[in-house]
Amino acid sequence: MSAPTSVERLIARLLLLGGLLSVGLVLSGLIVYAVQGHPEAREIVRVVHNREAGRAVDVFTSLGDVRRALAQRPPDPLAVTALGLVCLLATPVLGVAAASLAFWRAGDRDYAAIASIVLGMLLLSFALAAGG
Amino acid sequence: MSPLAFVAALFATSVVAGGAGAVLGLGGGILLIPILTLFFGVDLHYAMGASIVSVIATSSGAAAAYLRTSLSNVRIGLFLALATVSGALVGAALAGVVPARVLQLLLGLALAYSTVTTLRQLRVELPEPGGADPLALRFGLEGTYFDAALDRDVKYRASRVALGFGAMAGAGMLSGLLGIGSGAFKVLAMDHFMRLPMKVSTATSNFMIGITSAASAGIYFARGDIHPLLAAPVAVGVLVGAAAGTRLMARLRNSTIRKAFLPVLGWLAVSMILRGLGIGLP
Repeated sequence: MSAPTSVERLIARLLLLGGLLSVGLVLSGLIVYAVQGHPEAREIVRVVHNREAGRAVDVFTSLGDVRRALAQRPPDPLAVTALGLVCLLATPVLGVAAASLAFWRAGDRDYAAIASIVLGMLLLSFALAAGG
Repeated sequence: MSPLAFVAALFATSVVAGGAGAVLGLGGGILLIPILTLFFGVDLHYAMGASIVSVIATSSGAAAAYLRTSLSNVRIGLFLALATVSGALVGAALAGVVPARVLQLLLGLALAYSTVTTLRQLRVELPEPGGADPLALRFGLEGTYFDAALDRDVKYRASRVALGFGAMAGAGMLSGLLGIGSGAFKVLAMDHFMRLPMKVSTATSNFMIGITSAASAGIYFARGDIHPLLAAPVAVGVLVGAAAGTRLMARLRNSTIRKAFLPVLGWLAVSMILRGLGIGLP
């Protein structure tokens, strides 16, 4: 049977951890939000029906928003859920960064360069998105 | 519908979308967006935001398992990601400049042709080994995986790499231009052009879709399209479904996966042609 290489094992572990961490944060935020008895939780069908109704709930649009809501005492439970979603969205990017390092350490310069170029293009796309 | 029933139905739909996505190498958006908008009455922007979360959740959940069993090929995935991500950047820059409908029509016709050729090789379990492609040799685009359905190791090497790379760049461009996921195009390019085993194609596509979608996820987040009350149950359901889908896929034959993939390809061809002709679909 073919065995995974050290690069494959590293990326697999990172994707798994990213997924598990995200689920943990998403669920804990959501459960606390539901237990606190916010009326929007009971109105979820109406809240996601259109954007105007959707604004009844904190929809975070930047990492700064999430950070500020987490800094509140007690922290906004939906900010914990949003943090889980951000972790999930960042997981593939971290996978590419880890691949670049792992290939470099394994002496595979071609693939270290390819992974770095892909990572650079992803970061460029984020910069373009942030710039509007 | 009561809130609990809504969340339960949403979770169940997401489990199915994640499972199908993991087996077929798709993000699940093709299933999720119409169901969320038509059956659950969700706002289209929120449905698209939930779909991008679903793509990345499917990718993370499925690729983690496929990498451990060597079904996902990291080298092939990263090599082709060069084409898809750069294509997506070019596509995003050209949005509004290039007539999207003409591109949709051309792509729809190409997909219709691919559907017919895929139909002809429906029963093919493993592709015939092609000639030694210089790019495949130079970049090590090959591998071995244990096929549980065939109960043996399967060795493979990519063919017609330049053609596959070009198709991937086109798929990436379209995804940047139209804001659609391109898992089906990735599977098609690897299975059809590069003659990789179907399982390797769908598993490697699962690894790649997370990378290409991450490029546009930031835009959806910044626009406020990722609603936490909707995206959260979707993310959890899709991750659970993807984990189950990877177990199922290992036991399926390559030809079975191709048969399941064919209707998706046919549907995409029809929807692209209709949109190209200006006939709206839900």
